[in-house]
Amino acid sequence: MKKYDVVIAGGGAVGAACAYFLSRDTDLKIALIDLKKPGNASRASAGGLWAIGESVGLGCGVIFFKTLSKLHSEAQGKEVPVMRPHQLPDCFFEFALTSNNMYPALHQEMLEKHGVDFKFERTGLKFIMYNEEDRLYAEQITEGIPHLADQVRWLDAEELKKEEPYVTDDAIGAIDFICDHQVNPYRLVDAYLEGARQNGVSLYLNTEVTSVIRNGNVVEGVKTHDQVFFCDTLINASGAWANELYQQATGRTMPVYPVKGQIVLSERMPKIMNGCISTSDCYIAQKDNGEILIGSSTEEKGFDTTNSLDKIQELSQGAMKCLPILKESSIKRCWAGLRPGTPDELPILGPVEGIEGYLNACGHFRTGILTSAITGQLMTELITGKTPSLDLTPFSVARFDEAEQKAG
Amino acid sequence: MTSQIHDQVVIVGGGPAGTAAAAELARHGLKSVIIDEAPKLGGVIYRGPLRQTDSLPHLDDNLKRAMTALQTRYQAHSDSIEVKTQTRVLGPEGSNQLLLSDNSGLSRQPYAHLILATGCHERSVPFPGWQLPGVMLLGGVQLQLKSGLVRPGQRMALVGTGPLLPLVACQLHKAGVDVVGVFEASPFAKLAKEAVALLNKPKLTLSGMSMMSYLKKHKIPFKYGWGIVSAQGDEQLKSIQVAPYDSQWRPQRDLAVKVEVDAIGVGYGFVARTQLAMLLGLEHNYTKVSGYVPALDEWHQSQNHAAFVVGDSNGLLGADAAICEGQLAALRLAWQCGKITESQLFSRATKVKNKLARIKKFRFGFDRFSDRQPGLLTLAAPETVVCRCEQVRREQLDEAIAQGVKDITSLKMRTRIGMGDCQGKTCSSYALDYLHEAGLTENIGVIKPRFPLDPIPFTLME
Ligand SMILES: Cc1cc2nc3c(=O)[nH]c(=O)nc-3n(C[C@H](O)[C@H](O)[C@H](O)COP(=O)(O)OP(=O)(O)OC[C@H]3O[C@@H](n4cnc5c(N)ncnc54)[C@H](O)[C@@H]3O)c2cc1C
Ligand SMILES: Cc1cc2nc3c(=O)[nH]c(=O)nc-3n(C[C@H](O)[C@H](O)[C@H](O)COP(=O)(O)OP(=O)(O)OC[C@H]3O[C@@H](n4cnc5c(N)ncnc54)[C@H](O)[C@@H]3O)c2cc1C
Repeated sequence: MKKYDVVIAGGGAVGAACAYFLSRDTDLKIALIDLKKPGNASRASAGGLWAIGESVGLGCGVIFFKTLSKLHSEAQGKEVPVMRPHQLPDCFFEFALTSNNMYPALHQEMLEKHGVDFKFERTGLKFIMYNEEDRLYAEQITEGIPHLADQVRWLDAEELKKEEPYVTDDAIGAIDFICDHQVNPYRLVDAYLEGARQNGVSLYLNTEVTSVIRNGNVVEGVKTHDQVFFCDTLINASGAWANELYQQATGRTMPVYPVKGQIVLSERMPKIMNGCISTSDCYIAQKDNGEILIGSSTEEKGFDTTNSLDKIQELSQGAMKCLPILKESSIKRCWAGLRPGTPDELPILGPVEGIEGYLNACGHFRTGILTSAITGQLMTELITGKTPSLDLTPFSVARFDEAEQKAG
Repeated sequence: MTSQIHDQVVIVGGGPAGTAAAAELARHGLKSVIIDEAPKLGGVIYRGPLRQTDSLPHLDDNLKRAMTALQTRYQAHSDSIEVKTQTRVLGPEGSNQLLLSDNSGLSRQPYAHLILATGCHERSVPFPGWQLPGVMLLGGVQLQLKSGLVRPGQRMALVGTGPLLPLVACQLHKAGVDVVGVFEASPFAKLAKEAVALLNKPKLTLSGMSMMSYLKKHKIPFKYGWGIVSAQGDEQLKSIQVAPYDSQWRPQRDLAVKVEVDAIGVGYGFVARTQLAMLLGLEHNYTKVSGYVPALDEWHQSQNHAAFVVGDSNGLLGADAAICEGQLAALRLAWQCGKITESQLFSRATKVKNKLARIKKFRFGFDRFSDRQPGLLTLAAPETVVCRCEQVRREQLDEAIAQGVKDITSLKMRTRIGMGDCQGKTCSSYALDYLHEAGLTENIGVIKPRFPLDPIPFTLME
């Protein structure tokens, strides 16, 4: 039997960030328990810190919204589908941008204090326009975010060519979100974990939480196949699997479900990209070791993590259209990850009414790499009894209970 | 075509295991497709057993007979067997298809039943200089010999362990190579200890003995309890250092001697080729001899997946065992498809199972003799590259482990070992051994391969 102040179930970006921030800012006794299940999201992710891009439906969301727009247009009987920007609510912008702002300092801190480098790169995210429709779409996007005007740059074809010489001559220009950057996602997770370990967190890796111990409405700990962990607070950071532990902890269910994303990775190439790119077909990012990462599909297929040729073809074609030089390279790897999806695309954070000793840190959907830092900070504030630096009401699981009640 | 899909049997790998399975299936009225990346069927044991050649000088009589019998069975049923050679399986595509690549591009292969017979590859052991041109694995040496075109070297030494060493030494000598020494890591006393097990297959043991007397007759030094320390040369291998090994296979460096050579063959064992099985999601267990191998029932069917795995890809037992396993899987599948009755299944399987049991006894004797010792891990110097693709040095592993890395995934994330083009084929067994040696044996995980198993040119996606 073991006793901790805090047990974190799940060691993806979110769980690892919680472990890091808690161990940095408190003296609590902390354990993190993680089993890498097939499709765990953080390692599968692209590592984009696309705070604005993702909030306006570019990057990881672009294919999803393209499909949605198409369906929408078809429903309205339009022949030419019109792309409509998909903007997340203001609370999400704040959540994402606050987190985004934490990375430069976090990167420095981890390098200096813990000797780990998660390869933070200032890249910007450019939305490449091929035609007037794309321009219209870009205009709609920027009109939706007047308060962020200073973070948006318009590039004409010539300027784009100068900054991204390998982008196709067919491009007519781009908008660049200046504050959007990238990291190496598995190094980020590794950095959080290493920092946490150096700060004294006990890491139980390759270990599954098999059940939650609940006594009435108090969560008292968890079990693994051969150990029992008691704790004052259990943080559920188990990604796309979070509903399983939630059910055991509360006896209720919440709508967190796997949303599959496939990724295509090229062989190493010389530096051919200066920044990250999103088109209306895919996003493209050159990672720190030269590989070009192309993402990503959005599929609801349960916990299936197989790759399929059609999606790989779609992504590859989208990328070759943007960067013809890719035709000289090969696909080195493909994989699929499971985003922890929620119906309103917002994460589920914080306590659950009527349940003690339990916090949600899940449902980060397309942006859990970007928003891991703020999540770690918010959980630390909650556990130490401070007022959270952001209002957590829109992220509470209660929003679904209400919806259920209304529907019921 | 569609009408066939519901009972389409696909066999990946056309070595002894795969072809034996195909022949057995056909015998019970089941058609199959064999897919192999090599230009001809036959697997690694020799290229083209299904051609009408009987020149298998390196095989003992028993095995030769088994192979000839297999060839005959295969020929008799070849109408029911479709063969796709020079075709590589890149991985699963969706849930009931494989993605294939051949000269004409990509295609999909639907399957209802799957038999994996993908063989093994040789274990790489990093030591200073192991990447020099002229340092080869034993299989590479054999391949060059069999091609008959180039001699692997003029002056060669062999280092490693197990029955392949004397075999390849004889083959090299017959091909006119000056074999200056064979260095077997295990002591002779250990071989003697296994005598009983080895006598379970007297003919094989005898043929081993005749190889040894061949070496003696031609004054080829064969040293037990010796092994590689390092290799030297600039552009090309010039010499190696060999030394006596202690019982843990730690070289006694002060007794090292220099041997001038222009090529060496290195053979410290084999690792099952399980990438495809892992991609398909079959559960695996760790074994010391063959690395991770699929968890199978007595019919070689996966415990969590419908696929069968036979031959070296579920642990190295040699060609005649591979044949037995292929037959067993085929019989079970024929029964599952309702082609034979339960009593037919058991009556036919019993003979095969008995034979397999005999082979295992013998084989395990050799495995104990060749049991890999931890000293092998001390050969690599701190600055020696242990992962070729990502140029990871041994000291980086040391650093990561000192920092508290306890599992293979974290080791990979921290150092990039196993993330290169070869999918960890070369380095992951070293990484695993290294973690084990650091006392980390619990929950250390696996280096999981990723789709596709080989790079695909982007242009094939247009
Ligand atoms: C293809 C793709 C691309 C993406 N690109 C980006 C991007 O560019 N930028 C971005 O910000 N986000 C991106 N995301 C989203 C991001 O990856 C996720 O939001 C984020 O990784 C979620 O982190 P997590 O820690 O909640 O989940 P995970 O990383 O899945 O971690 C949860 C962990 O808990 C483990 N676990 C589950 N149950 C148990 C249990 N019972 N016991 C022990 N362990 C358990 C899981 O196996 C897993 O290891 C992408 C996602 C995908 C799939
Ligand atoms: C170097 C070497 C020397 C040996 N010498 C002897 C000996 O002298 N005597 C003896 O008894 N045994 C010997 N063996 C062992 C013997 O060859 C094997 O035990 C036997 O061949 C096993 O047969 P198999 O069918 O399991 O695998 P293999 O014969 O290895 O056949 C596997 C086949 O699968 C194919 N394949 C694998 N993956 C894919 C893929 N993704 N797509 C397409 N095709 C694929 C390969 O091309 C290969 O042809 C030797 C083995 C090696 C490696």
